[in-house]
Amino acid sequence: MISDIIAIIRDYWLLLLIGQYPNGPLGGLAATLMLSVLAIAFAFPVSIALALARLSKSPLLNWPVSALVYFTRGVPLLMLILWGYFLVPLVTGASVPSFLTMLVTLVVYQGAFLSEVVRGGIVALGHGQMEAARALGHSYLGAMRYVILPQALYNVIPSIISVFVSTIKDTTLGYVINVPDLTFAASQINNQLLTQPFQVFFILAAVYYVICWSLSRVAVLTERRITRKRAGTAAQATAKSLKLAALTDQPS
Amino acid sequence: MNTIAPSKNSPMIELTGVRKNYGNYEVLKGIDAEVARGEVVVICGPSGSGKSTLIRTVNRLEEIGSGSISCDGNNIHRPMPAKELNRLRSRIGFVFQSFNLFPHLSAIDNIAMSPIRVKGVARDVAYAKATQLLERVGLTDKANAYPGQLSGGQQQRVAIARALAMEPPVMLFDEPTSALDPEMVGEVLSVMKGLAADGMTMMCVTHEMGFARDVADRVWFIDQGQIVECAPPEEFFSRPQTARAQRFLSELRH
Ligand SMILES: Nc1ncnc2c1ncn2[C@@H]1O[C@H](COP(=O)(O)OP(=O)(O)OP(=O)(O)O)[C@@H](O)[C@H]1O
Ligand SMILES: [Mg+2]
Repeated sequence: MISDIIAIIRDYWLLLLIGQYPNGPLGGLAATLMLSVLAIAFAFPVSIALALARLSKSPLLNWPVSALVYFTRGVPLLMLILWGYFLVPLVTGASVPSFLTMLVTLVVYQGAFLSEVVRGGIVALGHGQMEAARALGHSYLGAMRYVILPQALYNVIPSIISVFVSTIKDTTLGYVINVPDLTFAASQINNQLLTQPFQVFFILAAVYYVICWSLSRVAVLTERRITRKRAGTAAQATAKSLKLAALTDQPS
Repeated sequence: MNTIAPSKNSPMIELTGVRKNYGNYEVLKGIDAEVARGEVVVICGPSGSGKSTLIRTVNRLEEIGSGSISCDGNNIHRPMPAKELNRLRSRIGFVFQSFNLFPHLSAIDNIAMSPIRVKGVARDVAYAKATQLLERVGLTDKANAYPGQLSGGQQQRVAIARALAMEPPVMLFDEPTSALDPEMVGEVLSVMKGLAADGMTMMCVTHEMGFARDVADRVWFIDQGQIVECAPPEEFFSRPQTARAQRFLSELRH
C-alpha cells in the first residue's frame, strides 16, 4: 500500500507537479496554486468593491450588487462553473480557455462570499470612526481607505483566510470542465493505472490537506495574535512600559 | 429673540430658524442664535433636549429640516458638491464624547494623517505641527502610543490636537468630558481653557459648570429643542429666568 503510493509518486511526480507541461498546458499542482493565487488576488479587491457597493445608499449600486451577492451565495459553485463553461461561448461566440472560465467563476463566487465578510467587518466598527473622519474633512472614500478599511480588514483577517482556504478547495471543481489542475492530473494517473484509485486519491487528498492545513494554521495563529494584541493594548492602558512589551512580545 | 453679544465683525456661527425632525418628533424647534468670533459658548440642558443634535448640525453631521446655518461666512446646509462640504467640514473642529481616535494609528499619526490626506500638507510639515500640538496638550511623551495604550483623558487630548491640526477657526465640543473618570476631567478642561485663552471660537456642550463660569462668554440653556435662556454665565447661574432653567440647575447641583 505505502510502497504503491511511493511508486506512484516516483513515476508521476512531474505530472502531479506541472501536468503535461511543456508538451501541454501547465497543469498539476502548479496550475492549482496558480488558479488559487490568482482567484484570491482578484477576489480580494472585488470583494471590497462589492462590499462598498452594498453599503452604498445609492440604489443603483446597492440593488444589483445585493442581487448578485444573494444569487451567487444561493447557487452551488458547480452550477456557476457549468454555466460559465456552456453559456459564455454561446453568448460571446468565442471559446474561452477552461482555466480562465474557472478563474472568473471563482473570483465572482469567492468575491461575493468575501464581500460579506468585509461588509461585516466594516459594519462592526460602528459609526464613530466614519463620523470622526468625515468631521475632519475626509471624503467618504478617503475615510474608507485611511480609517475604516485598515481596521475592518485587519479585524476579519482570520475569516478572510478561511475564504482563501475554501477557494483552494474549490479549484478542484475545475476538473469538471477539464481545467488541467492537480485533481485533473490525479484522475489521469488513475485512468492509466486503473487498479489503484485509493492510492492515487490518497495522494491527492494529502496534498490538498497540507496546503489548506498550513493556511488554516496561519489563520489560527493570526487570530491569536490579534486577540493577544488587543488584550495587550487594553492591559497596557494602565501600564507604562511599552518598550518592555515590545521586547517580550514573541516574534512569529 | 435672544440678545446677541456685540461683535466687531460678522458672527462666526449664525443659526437662523433651524428646525429638525426625527420622523414626527421635532428635535430642534426653531433655533436662532449667533456665536461671535472668539466667543466661547457653553450649551447645557436636560438629556434629550437636542444639544448633540444642534451642535452636530453645525458641521452637518446632521442634516436640518429648515432654516440655515452659516459658519465663517459659509452657508453650511446649502446644496453643494461633496468636495465643497468636505472642505468646509475640515474648517470646523469637532470633538466627540467618545473620542473616536483612530485605533490603528499612533497618537502622532492620528494628528498628522488628516492634514496630509485631506489638505495635502507635506509630511514633514504635518509631523512638525503634530509634535507642536502634542506639546500643547501635554502629551509629547505619548507621540508613538496607540489609543488603546492611553487613558481616556489622554485620548481626548489627542482628539483635540487632531481637530486642531486642521487649523479650524471654530471648535465644537459635544460633552468632551462626560465619558471620563472624574480625575481626568481637569486635564481636558485645562486644554480647552488654553484654547479659549488663545481666542478660539468655541461651542461646547457640557455640564461642567465650573468650566462654564470660568471660560464661557455666554451659556445657552436648551430645553425641548429650543434655546430657552441665553446669558453670560454669572447671570445664568445666579439668576436663571425660567422655571425650567431653575429646575435644571437645582438638579445639577444635587
Ligand atoms: N437618529 C435618531 N433618530 C431618532 N431620534 C433621535 C436620533 N438621534 C437623537 N434622537 C432623539 O432626539 C432627541 C435629542 O437628542 P440629542 O442627542 O440631541 O439630545 P442631547 O440633548 O444631546 O441629550 P444628552 O444630554 O443625553 O446627550 C432625543 O429625544 C433623542 O432620543
Ligand atoms: Mg448629547
